[in-house]
Amino acid sequence: MKKSLYLLLGFMTVLILAACGGENGTEETNTDGGTEETGNESGEASGEDVTLRIAWWGEQTRHDSTLEVIKMYEEQNPHVTIEPEYASWEDYWRKLAPQAAANELPDIIAMDLSYLSQYAQNGQLADLTPFLENEIDVSNISEDNVNAGRIDDNLFGFNLGVNAVGFQYNPQKLSEIGYDEIPEGWTWDDFQEMSQAAADAGMYFDNGFQADVFFNYYLRTNGARLYAEDGSGLGYEDDQLFVDFFSMTTEEVEKGATPTPDFLAQLAGPEDDPIIKGEGVGIFQWSNQFVGLEELSGLDFEIAPMPGPTMEEGLFLKPSMFFSVAENSEAKAEAAKFISFFVNNVEANKVILGDRGVPINSEVLEALKSEVSDSQAQVFEYIEWVENNSTPMGPADPAGAGEIIELLTSLSEQMAYGEITPEDAATHFRTQAESILGN
Amino acid sequence: MLQSHMKQNLWGYLFIGPFIIGFLAFTIIPIISSLYFSFTSYDLFSPPRWIGLDNFTQMFTEDPRYLHSLKITFIYVFAGVPLRLAFALIVAMLLNTASRAVGLYRTMYYLPSLIGGSVAVAIMWRQIFGDDGIVNLALGFIGIDAVRWFGDPTAALWMLIFLSVWQFGSSMLIFLAGLKSIPQSYYEAASVDGASFFQKFFNITLPMLSPVILFNAIMQTIGAFMTFVPAFIISKGTGGPLDGTLLYSLYLFKQGFEFFHMGYASAMAWIMLIIIAILTSIIFFTSRFWVHYESEGGR
Repeated sequence: MKKSLYLLLGFMTVLILAACGGENGTEETNTDGGTEETGNESGEASGEDVTLRIAWWGEQTRHDSTLEVIKMYEEQNPHVTIEPEYASWEDYWRKLAPQAAANELPDIIAMDLSYLSQYAQNGQLADLTPFLENEIDVSNISEDNVNAGRIDDNLFGFNLGVNAVGFQYNPQKLSEIGYDEIPEGWTWDDFQEMSQAAADAGMYFDNGFQADVFFNYYLRTNGARLYAEDGSGLGYEDDQLFVDFFSMTTEEVEKGATPTPDFLAQLAGPEDDPIIKGEGVGIFQWSNQFVGLEELSGLDFEIAPMPGPTMEEGLFLKPSMFFSVAENSEAKAEAAKFISFFVNNVEANKVILGDRGVPINSEVLEALKSEVSDSQAQVFEYIEWVENNSTPMGPADPAGAGEIIELLTSLSEQMAYGEITPEDAATHFRTQAESILGN
Repeated sequence: MLQSHMKQNLWGYLFIGPFIIGFLAFTIIPIISSLYFSFTSYDLFSPPRWIGLDNFTQMFTEDPRYLHSLKITFIYVFAGVPLRLAFALIVAMLLNTASRAVGLYRTMYYLPSLIGGSVAVAIMWRQIFGDDGIVNLALGFIGIDAVRWFGDPTAALWMLIFLSVWQFGSSMLIFLAGLKSIPQSYYEAASVDGASFFQKFFNITLPMLSPVILFNAIMQTIGAFMTFVPAFIISKGTGGPLDGTLLYSLYLFKQGFEFFHMGYASAMAWIMLIIIAILTSIIFFTSRFWVHYESEGGR
């Protein structure tokens, strides 16, 4: 009797241990490679087997190209195994937060400007400065472009390419509303006039403004910005700027030049968008979305700069995304090497084809010019033009930017539905935003 | 003697051991930590900071979005649960009329409950409730203007309620079992006395079924209050339009995992627990007026 009891007890212990072990099974390879490595510091690990986890957000085309680059890297570096984890933009951040809390972040993390501070301030990201010129080759990259991922003195994200906003329009539709081209140095007055013409022709002029991006642009043209330089509050004093901008966008909806919000909510996916279906003139969006726009619609588009006045003050080159290395990574040097490959390798970039923004490596950019499609070439051209017609971006977004963006988006939605006046929204935004950024 | 008694107990503990360990690790400890976090400001990254009752006061005084989400959750529960139960009962009664393919029907009607939370359903729902979807076609047929189901906050909430009614499977199975346990002789006796269908329904079926109804009502109310997945996938995680589908759990999730206010989210979870406890006790309290137990002499 007693014997069988012990036997059962022993059996159960084994079962429980097996169950616990199973949960860690996937990570074991990871820690194996890692623990040995911490012994000989910044990754003299070439030769030893390493497993890197890498995470990014995006759509199918990006997943495909990134997976291909990973395969190339693994072939050239047989000791490295890379485990990809990818998701859509929303799901990506929901997945990353609990991983951060559990100190389980992937070794290489795609980072966005609006989250960089949040993760950096909380000590989740590694400073990449020591890897520059060693594991990460920066010989063909301008200092400005490297420093875009710097917060204080630490390089928390490595820039993968640059972006700029613009008006991506369908010239055929533009001529249908009676204009041959977007006039050089066009202003918001021109914009309102042209959108009226579109509305009169029973056509949409655009599909609205992503609130945080374009309000920030508008503020910059007026010598302010969305966030204060030190991130402790809002970067503009005069609420009239808020009222002016959002009165204008609300008016666009009222006059029928921009689809109503309930119409937009009803769309099943981007392929149903009126602009994509050729029922409108253009879209205000980031330059790296241009290629997708042309592909999805099968139409030809052109890129024009934003409406002014003082457009140069508002326009800036934005690092479209970063690769960061997690502080909890045990193979930081190996991670850095992969980033260097991703940014500098010409063959790899022939696969990526500027999907993460226009390459910052001048050699890669030259090599790509002959490779890329016409639409990508247009993007390169536009970015080159912006380089000479813009102002520096300024400090990265503060921690809490994600919440501010949600607040502003929700308010702009309420304004478009006519639930709240721009005046009330301005006051509300200020109180709420200051309290989010204040603590 | 005592020793053998203890040994007996030891065997018992041994067998429930795996459950106890799992229960402690995955239920009790998280519950206690969440109680602690609800009194703190905790952003997942840095250590929690004790702030007393601030989270709770903020909820009811400074957070209109919270009150809004509470309101629509109540609408969702009080409209959705009765509709769902009524629908489940109707289908169960149809299936109870013995038919040869009853097993097949039972499975078919249960299916929505299994796949209700999947992305495929969200896509299907987009088609059904789209501008040219079948619902708007049907509305147009009877002369009602098309509704922007995904664009109008009230319509979007009702769409969620329809989705929940559609997932009536588990209640239906329980009702079906309850119906089968009502002795056929009661109905026969009633028929002999010349009772109509409705008389039989209200005087035999409902009273005999009332314990099952009570059970279903409680389980469905609790479940409905915690609804998350449909709201999440229908609104693509935003709770929109205009927060029209921002159910309690979805807002809790947003606070926790999008804004990193884990302390606030924990406090919300505890308020939800209290609300569910109160609702459940109210249902229990009223049950003595409408639930009949045969074993207690029809009381």
